[in-house]
Amino acid sequence: MTAEPSDDGQPLATDQSQSAPVIATKALTRRFGPSITALDDLTMAVGSGITGLVGANGAGKSTLIKVLLGLLLPSSGTASVLGLDTAGHGERIRTLTGYMPEHDCLPPDVTATEFVTHMGRMSGLPPTTARERAAESLRHVGLYEERYRHIGTYSTGMKQRVKLAQALAGDPRLLLLDEPTNGLDPAGRAAMLELISRIGTEFGISVVVSSHLLGEVEQICDHLIAIDGGRLLRSATMSSFTQASQVLAIEVDEGVDLLAAELSRRGLNPVGNERELLVVISGEGTFDQVRDAVAGLGLPLSRMEQRRHRVEELFRDAEERFSGSNRGAGPGGRPPGTPRDELTGAVDGR
Amino acid sequence: MAADGVANAGLIAPGAGVIHDIGYQTYDGPRLGRWKIAAALSWHSLRSAFGFGRGAKAKIVPVITFVIMCAPAVINAVIMALGRSHVRVVDYDTYVGTLRVFVLLVFIAAQAPELVSRDLRSRVLPLYFARPMRRVDYPTAKYAAFVLACLAIIDIPVLLLYIGTIMQVHGGAAVWAQTRALFPGLLVGLMWAVVLAAVGLVLACVSGRRAYSTGAVAIFLFMTWTLTTVLTKIAAAGSPSGTGSGAGVGVRVASAGGVSGAEHLFGLISPFTVLDGVRQWLGGTSPGIVADPGRYGPVYGVMLLVFLGVSLGALVRRYYSRVSIA
Repeated sequence: MTAEPSDDGQPLATDQSQSAPVIATKALTRRFGPSITALDDLTMAVGSGITGLVGANGAGKSTLIKVLLGLLLPSSGTASVLGLDTAGHGERIRTLTGYMPEHDCLPPDVTATEFVTHMGRMSGLPPTTARERAAESLRHVGLYEERYRHIGTYSTGMKQRVKLAQALAGDPRLLLLDEPTNGLDPAGRAAMLELISRIGTEFGISVVVSSHLLGEVEQICDHLIAIDGGRLLRSATMSSFTQASQVLAIEVDEGVDLLAAELSRRGLNPVGNERELLVVISGEGTFDQVRDAVAGLGLPLSRMEQRRHRVEELFRDAEERFSGSNRGAGPGGRPPGTPRDELTGAVDGR
Repeated sequence: MAADGVANAGLIAPGAGVIHDIGYQTYDGPRLGRWKIAAALSWHSLRSAFGFGRGAKAKIVPVITFVIMCAPAVINAVIMALGRSHVRVVDYDTYVGTLRVFVLLVFIAAQAPELVSRDLRSRVLPLYFARPMRRVDYPTAKYAAFVLACLAIIDIPVLLLYIGTIMQVHGGAAVWAQTRALFPGLLVGLMWAVVLAAVGLVLACVSGRRAYSTGAVAIFLFMTWTLTTVLTKIAAAGSPSGTGSGAGVGVRVASAGGVSGAEHLFGLISPFTVLDGVRQWLGGTSPGIVADPGRYGPVYGVMLLVFLGVSLGALVRRYYSRVSIA
């Protein structure tokens, strides 16, 4: 079959993708039936580079990806990908976008080469190109030697790489990776993250990588978006995000309530349970404040540990910001700003 | 050291220095549109219907069914070549009716799941739908592929029959007579392929478990065929006053409008007999495989369209409603 230029035949490089956001949504809402709102008034913009999409299971990550691929229409609001409106240009967007689903999606009884070649064909590549790009993609993900083996004989890590290779085969401008580290052991996770990082930096492909673990994606992301219950919690550059999410865990053998009261009096807003208290680290002063509080009360301090927020804690903070009275005091004591404001700065700063 | 030298020599491109790593290459060439992608999927599916690109095991059923289906054509050619008969012993339009029914039953039950059930099982559909093609393109491509696969199983033996026959007849008039008889036969084959592929695929995509899919197809086609055969025979035997278990049916038949009408109408149950009924209604002269439609030919025509329409509608719906991405 010969490759004729179709309406999709133009060169794919879009100059505007450098300046315009790769993904932009405006008041995006998607409902399923009258009672379920999967995406709720979501307004955000994602620049080029690697973007982490964090949220607990059921937060709306998958629905967002479906909308971005033009497979679900928004109930209201708009979404655009690579400067194209998802409502009218789904086919074109799907040509330019590679998608790696969270779940297993590989037939066991074909070789990786055959499978990735076929998926390249389904992305609109001519037969010869599809074969070449399949071999290239598999080489990039580190499966060159094993590519003629049946996928059923692969380990979980290798299968994840095949899933990534099939997304890469169609030469996308944007990759949507849904939980790419799921089911991998720590070494496999590190390797996968490094691979994604390489794709985002060396290959020049914009990547959106979803995860329910902030600690994982924060290593490789330039930008982070947190959603929960279909709402945007935060959208900011990675540096501001991690700064905000540094916390100090304090464990005392007794008098937790006393310490909590004392820390509150000092304006540290501790959260926690009967075992430990968490305070947001806003600088060196935080450690001094905690030390002074513990010493002043004469409590037996058993542990102080600096750690990053887990995503769930991040959500809790953000929930408080949304609903609570202390809306002005964001974590880390930074000027709060709406997510949109933070984002604009982030995109412009790139 | 010597090995290094050899390796480096291999990496030196003429006049371009040493190639370390060509890195990521973008593709700026042409891309195929939605229809060509669907055509590529069809071709891929047609190959898989015959086990091409799969292991040897996947080829067993297609090869055996094809060989069995060709047997009458070969036997006809041998008989004519040996001079035992100077006329064709197999018809173009019905071929060997019962053989065709059972071979197709096995082929469709075994191979329709190969096209649709595997993709459900391996959950690969989200990858298709995250690509340019639309939802309707997937079942359309699969259906086109399976029509061609069934057509190959049905009509290639008919063509072999034709070739075997014209090699033994003499004179242009005789060859022309064979050719004129061939075309209705090929068209009947097309009609069978168009209807049975739809029925087979829609039953096969009920489940991602291959065994269930095969079971669904086989049970439906076999049960309806058996029911039609048995009921038609009972109705044809036609004694409403008989005793025993068959009598109940017979009595109802009699009250439903006379024995003669019923024996014509029971053929509406099975897709195979509906197809054969339509063939006879449209002027096919060879004896029917179970019953003739009598004066109810148009009813068979409507039933054919119902089988086709319901199957295709349900097939397309299946890929809109229940298969979601992620």
